[in-house]
Amino acid sequence: MILFSAPTCDKCSYIKKNFNLKELGIRVEELTEDNPEGLALLAWHGLVKSAEEGLPILVVEKERLVIRGQDNIVRYLERKK
Amino acid sequence: MGEVLELKPMKLFDTKDTTDLAVFVRTSDEELVTWNRQKIVDALIRETFLDKGTAELISEEVEKIILKSGITVLTAPLIRELVDAKLIEKGLEKARRMHTRLGMPLYDVEQLIVYPNKENANVPHGPEATNLTLAENIKKEYALLNVFSQDVSDAHMKGDIHLHDLGFIDRPYCSGQSLEYIKKFGLSLPNSLAIAKPAKHPEVLLAHMVKFAAALQSNFAGAIGWDAVNLFFAPYLEGLSKRDLKQLAQMLIFEFSQQAVARGGQAIFSDINLYWEVPKHFEDVPAIGPGGEYTGKTYGEYSKTAKEFVKALFEVYMEGDGCSRPFFFPKPLVHITEKFWNEEGNEEFLHLICDVACEKGNTYFVFDRGNTAKISECCRLSFKLEKSDFEDAKQPWKMRYSAIQNVTINLPRIAYEAKGDDTKLFSLITERVEIAVRAHIQKRIFLEKLLSQGERGPLALLTMNKDGQPYLRMHRVSYLIGMVGLNELVQYHLGQEMHESEFAVKFGLKIIAHMKLLCDKFSKMHNMHFVLEQTPAESTAYRFARLDLKHFSEKAGRIVKGDIAKGEIYYTNSTYLNVSHPINPIDRIRIEGLFHPLIEAGSLTHIWLGEKRPDTGAMANFVKKIFHLTENDQVAFSPEFTTCLDCKKTMRGLLDSCYYCSSERVEGITRITGYFTRISSWNKGKLGELRDRFRSKDYF
Repeated sequence: MILFSAPTCDKCSYIKKNFNLKELGIRVEELTEDNPEGLALLAWHGLVKSAEEGLPILVVEKERLVIRGQDNIVRYLERKK
Repeated sequence: MGEVLELKPMKLFDTKDTTDLAVFVRTSDEELVTWNRQKIVDALIRETFLDKGTAELISEEVEKIILKSGITVLTAPLIRELVDAKLIEKGLEKARRMHTRLGMPLYDVEQLIVYPNKENANVPHGPEATNLTLAENIKKEYALLNVFSQDVSDAHMKGDIHLHDLGFIDRPYCSGQSLEYIKKFGLSLPNSLAIAKPAKHPEVLLAHMVKFAAALQSNFAGAIGWDAVNLFFAPYLEGLSKRDLKQLAQMLIFEFSQQAVARGGQAIFSDINLYWEVPKHFEDVPAIGPGGEYTGKTYGEYSKTAKEFVKALFEVYMEGDGCSRPFFFPKPLVHITEKFWNEEGNEEFLHLICDVACEKGNTYFVFDRGNTAKISECCRLSFKLEKSDFEDAKQPWKMRYSAIQNVTINLPRIAYEAKGDDTKLFSLITERVEIAVRAHIQKRIFLEKLLSQGERGPLALLTMNKDGQPYLRMHRVSYLIGMVGLNELVQYHLGQEMHESEFAVKFGLKIIAHMKLLCDKFSKMHNMHFVLEQTPAESTAYRFARLDLKHFSEKAGRIVKGDIAKGEIYYTNSTYLNVSHPINPIDRIRIEGLFHPLIEAGSLTHIWLGEKRPDTGAMANFVKKIFHLTENDQVAFSPEFTTCLDCKKTMRGLLDSCYYCSSERVEGITRITGYFTRISSWNKGKLGELRDRFRSKDYF
């Protein structure tokens, strides 16, 4: 799983603070100006425009699932705990 | 005309002071004046700031060479070359650069006048075209010597980068226009002998639009795009019969497609942006109608008329020209927004534009998903509207956008230089983007110098101020950074082309993401809007391949596409997959579309149809899939045609002889980059690509 996040995104911070992402097998991709890999990965998943409209976005590759927005991600992660 | 000196050597050898000798100079003012060595001295002091003593010394030495040579007819360019040689001899390189003469060898001028120039397939061959090319060549030299710094010029000359439209150094690149400007302010052009008030009739509005486009073509290097044409015409069209609407549509298309009389005999590269639905940002905007007056209605209320007009336009596109060929210009760019799918009649309209795409190939499908809105033009350039633009949309005449310049980076060369080292590869990309940024800053400084002369300057039209700001809104311009040969970079660096593995596509995405982030970074640093664009690269893909084959023969020889023996070589355009790879069109659109959101200033996928005429319904379903299932920004479908020069009939496919009269005097037509044109005018690189293109014959 990949969580696309940004340093200035409060909703992203909330998720990072309240869940042990590493334990859940989630890799965090911080979308910063020094991270072309993160942006390329976002583009690979076809999510550049979605990310412009709002972060965080969680990609669950195994389930071919894209979850947008803090509330939806929180709900999904609560179930996974 | 150059100056010619006629020498009478006998007397020259008699005296030390040649100033009084009977040597004549034929000046460009058609006057004979006596030889005067002092002129060399004056020129050196005026143009190079050399001290008087050195200037005197050089002039004397040059004079001695002339006298000893026994030359009987001497041209001014030759004197200048001799002076320049002396400057080099004395190590005065800076002075030589300043004193250099711009011009072309006799042989080259002869070639240009007699044979066609194939750099741009939209430039015909004729006296006007050669005037254009000759002038362009001088301006190119001027730009490389005087506008850009030596490192930038050298990077261009070596083929690390390509500075586009150097021959139009004194103008911006492309532009997006609003009809609302001429509807509101009429047609009042600098240097025009008459001023026209806002049009009261649709035919007059069309006349203003075409004249203004021609004036703009003289002030921009590239395409002139018009926003929401069917919508902005609508207030003039209420109550017109279907027949009259069709007549106006026909006039509009023919007026633009037959404008091959303007700059260099070149048709105006024109685009009309069209909408079935009224885009959200224009729905509540008060409409301007005849006489430049508000009609009391909003544009949302003109939806029905706008629909009737856009249908009429596509009916004309469907018929084609007098030989049933597709119209080359204006290119119809149909924007499809989220609203389109709920708009009344969308199915019927989608079928009409797909029918045109299948039959003639004209339709450009522009996908504005989510809240995206843009003005498109050129081969794929688009100006994405930002927050402030939506505010401007309330006064749509303000919506004028321009790209100042386009600089393209030769990506395959970077891979050759990096020799498989990732760190070096990314560092070289950064270095090349930095050079492109410097080139943009230098062009901006040069243009600002011209613009600062205002209405008495060379760019008077762009400084006219009718709405409180200059016509060219420098605060809203873009600076384009393009790329050629991503596929070949990946192929050389990883040993796989992009269609060969997910890993290769992901690596390609990383390259483009890196370039995008650099653009963002430099935009902040310089307060300029640097954006990536998929360069159309009509001649650049050929130029880079040719230069690399020369300077990196062993490496490039394995990588360039096309036929090396015939010299028909090219690199794959921008971020495209290999054009020859037999891939399902939806996969091509999906994979190429992954790159599009990273390329803000425009990207496009071509689907080459060849002689196949797809089923309209299948095409319509295909377009729906593209919108809903991919990230692709723009798609164009390109059939191929043959026109018989004898019986004037047009046939599907590229044929050697006419199907109807068996004549072998036939001409092939298809899309070169973004526009249709005659294949006979294509450069060798594009001919190589044409041979390789995979035609999606079996997928519709």
